[in-house]
Amino acid sequence: MPVLETINFGPIAFEQESILEFPRGLPGFEECRRFVAVQIPQTAPLVFLQSLEQASLCFTTMPVQSVDPDYNLQVMPEDLALVDLPAERQPRIGHDVLCLAVLAVRESGPTANLLAPLVVNLANRKAVQAVAPESDYSHQHALLPQEATVCS
Amino acid sequence: MLMMSRRQGETIRIGDDIEIVIAGIHGSRVKVGIRAPREMTVVMREIKLVKEENLAAAQAPQVAVWSSLMEHFQRTAAGARAHAGRPAARR
Repeated sequence: MPVLETINFGPIAFEQESILEFPRGLPGFEECRRFVAVQIPQTAPLVFLQSLEQASLCFTTMPVQSVDPDYNLQVMPEDLALVDLPAERQPRIGHDVLCLAVLAVRESGPTANLLAPLVVNLANRKAVQAVAPESDYSHQHALLPQEATVCS
Repeated sequence: MLMMSRRQGETIRIGDDIEIVIAGIHGSRVKVGIRAPREMTVVMREIKLVKEENLAAAQAPQVAVWSSLMEHFQRTAAGARAHAGRPAARR
């Protein structure tokens, strides 16, 4: 089993089949194509995406359903084709794809990028950051809203 | 802003180097072809937002900070928890 030295987690062992492959990289990180997903019990439901190419690069993500249980996934045909998903219908979260929102921490608190979730084809682990230009989702959705607020 | 009406198959030129073709119209979606010099970057506006967001996300604090944030999140979003598939890696 290959072992990867990382800055955040120390050495991690992973199976070759667990590598997520982003054929186009991610916007801003076009050269970073391979990641492993790391989960730690004390930070559940977070999924850390550790780059295999850059030890210092690690995205913090969370399943979109944890942010918004009613999240409506809309993937453009070219993105579906990139990860070998059929273009005729939208993939189902949990059945066809794993769908992760990239998180960032800003002064106002942590935010989730719901405009462009990471969509991983569960059948082949190919992944794409799928921008949904027609959706009304924010690229900076507040993760810890006011306690009384109900997400619409 | 300059506004123009174009039909499918018609083009618009910007300067000498850039040509925009209305390749197809399907309902509320318009397929646009762009001919531009190779060195010119052409992306959807949203891609730029996502790029900036990814750069910010890559700076985010790691495990220790997220651990306390998640405690708070679990309290506010209990019940909405979902499952990310089997762990892909172990320590």
